[in-house]
Amino acid sequence: MGRSRSDLVVFIAKRLAQLVPVLLGVIVITFFFTHIAVSNPCAIWSGPKASPSTIAACVKNNHFNDSLPVQFYYYLAGLVSGNWGTDPLFHSPVLSVLLTDFPATLELVLAATFLMVFIGIPLGVVAAASNGRIADHLVRIFYLSGWATPTYIAGVVLAIGLGPLLGVSGGDFSTTSSPVPAITHMSVLDAIIALNPGATVDAIVHLILPAVALAFINMGIATRMTRTSMLEILPLEFVKTARMKGLGEFWVLYKHALRNALITTTTVLGVTAGTMVSGTVVIESVFVWPGLGRYAYEAITEYDFAGTIGVVIFFAIVVVAANLIADILYGVLDPRVEWR
Amino acid sequence: MGETGCGKSTLGHSIPRLLPEPPAKVTSGKIVFQGTDLLKIPKWRMPGVRGTGIGMIFQEPINSLNPAYRVGDQIAESVRIRKLRERGIMPALKPDVKGFDYSKRELPKASEVVTGPFIPPNVTQTLKTRGPPMTKEIHQEVLDFLRLVRINDPERIVNLFPHELSGGMRQRIMIAMALSGKPALLIADEPTSALDVTIQAQVLTLMKELMEEVRTSIMFISHDLGVIAEMADDVGVMYAGHMVEFGPVAEIFESPRHPYTKALLRSIPNRYKDEGVLPSLSGSVPNLSKLPVGCTFNPRCPLARDVCRVKPGPPFALLPPGPAGGMHRTACFFPDEVPSMP
Repeated sequence: MGRSRSDLVVFIAKRLAQLVPVLLGVIVITFFFTHIAVSNPCAIWSGPKASPSTIAACVKNNHFNDSLPVQFYYYLAGLVSGNWGTDPLFHSPVLSVLLTDFPATLELVLAATFLMVFIGIPLGVVAAASNGRIADHLVRIFYLSGWATPTYIAGVVLAIGLGPLLGVSGGDFSTTSSPVPAITHMSVLDAIIALNPGATVDAIVHLILPAVALAFINMGIATRMTRTSMLEILPLEFVKTARMKGLGEFWVLYKHALRNALITTTTVLGVTAGTMVSGTVVIESVFVWPGLGRYAYEAITEYDFAGTIGVVIFFAIVVVAANLIADILYGVLDPRVEWR
Repeated sequence: MGETGCGKSTLGHSIPRLLPEPPAKVTSGKIVFQGTDLLKIPKWRMPGVRGTGIGMIFQEPINSLNPAYRVGDQIAESVRIRKLRERGIMPALKPDVKGFDYSKRELPKASEVVTGPFIPPNVTQTLKTRGPPMTKEIHQEVLDFLRLVRINDPERIVNLFPHELSGGMRQRIMIAMALSGKPALLIADEPTSALDVTIQAQVLTLMKELMEEVRTSIMFISHDLGVIAEMADDVGVMYAGHMVEFGPVAEIFESPRHPYTKALLRSIPNRYKDEGVLPSLSGSVPNLSKLPVGCTFNPRCPLARDVCRVKPGPPFALLPPGPAGGMHRTACFFPDEVPSMP
């Protein structure tokens, strides 16, 4: 094992192979949880005024009379062949809905990650550089309040408090109003592709609040980790070496010290991916964001088993992918690490 | 020179103002470098003095190179800073041509100490010279400086990371990096203490040779008396945070005029005679937060009398010139009694 390009390919291949048992475990757990909790949701699906024959047809179509392992076999067979089931209300195929909703969530998560990296990490550097002085305390107040605020409260407070200022009040948080063709299903990217500056600004304005709400809690982790590892790095001699070259304090902090402190921060950011993805369920519902999180909420409240399991599969992939990216970055940042 | 904990490194670090300044504080005195009192310069201007004015080599080569960058790039950074300053693009301390010749037993008067003679960054020059990057030129200089510190295959070494190099190699690279700024003063803070003995000898020989070649003043901090005798022209002896004796190396080693120096030199073993237990000084270094009243050395000094135990302690007084010439100072009330000290 080493650090060549082929080592990296082997490393990524191994990690992707590990994805298979992870996904299988996730599917088993969600499938049995949903199907044991509500063994026959056909009455709920068909509505209060449904005729017995409709319900009977529903039971037959969904194999609810078979034993659980048999039901699981049918589900798994469908999953592998690309038929992820249908949603009970509109009978639209789950997989295609997930694929169109996923980019919107990815956009939100990427925007929140962007905020964490470009605001959370520099705040940590500022705090470490002014250790124990006023700036350090202000940053601590900021990240502790982020950490202490449940995501749903941050979301609601931002929506009510700042929404009107940005002109996105009421229920108008969704970007469906943007008249640009949906190519990537990411509002900002679509508007840029359509070369429509007005729509781009509009899309960014709509993105800011949910992204801030989502980033707020995790920002604390990024800031705190950066601050702690910077405090470990700053007394080391190579920081003095950098100063003695005649470099200004900015370059000493950001080029020499932060580069080494980031090694720890990156790993932690990979771990926060799970928190972030689960946060989208709340944030997207509060801000009516047309993504996976809102879909997950609807699927769960409507006893949509296929949709619930589908969302969980997507979330599991996102978490594994985020950790894989963090591990790769870890090796890129630290030349002593070998990919294995 | 001086024993562990006597403030040698603190003194060395305070010159380029490298000590973290909320805990550390210079309460009195001046740090005069090329005619400028560094204490009167605002802290944010200090980078203009470092690198091209004052360079530094640290004790632990393991930690003194950035583990995340290739050594070639780290040296290149230092070369680039010097080049930008030479072109007047980056701010730098303007070297004072006049300077002070300390060997002529003169100290600058307070009125002669000027503050802040900086070359401000030249914006028009910056815009004009933005053309082709100097990378090739810089790379060539990096290789030259690596050859200067006797590294035979610099083309291979520049692409390595610090963790791929041995301690001796890292210290050579540290020396190359410090020299690549072409500093007027190089502070070497125990550069060989963390290396093993054979490597120590190599690095010392290298530094001795380089002293002749690069014409840079070197302030060499060490507790190793043999190394000091080999390297130095002038020696300052420190005890408990104070400079107790300063003079030409021959005078310090042949006729020390401070009881501490005398006691220190007596503890060097004679390699041809078995003298049994080496003479040692009774007592231990005082706690620096509770220094004895008067002369800091008085509790351990065989010559100590009542005058030594009252404030103020002995002045750092100039002695009449000895056979070696130069400036010899000692902080003792009875320097004439030291040669016959028991």
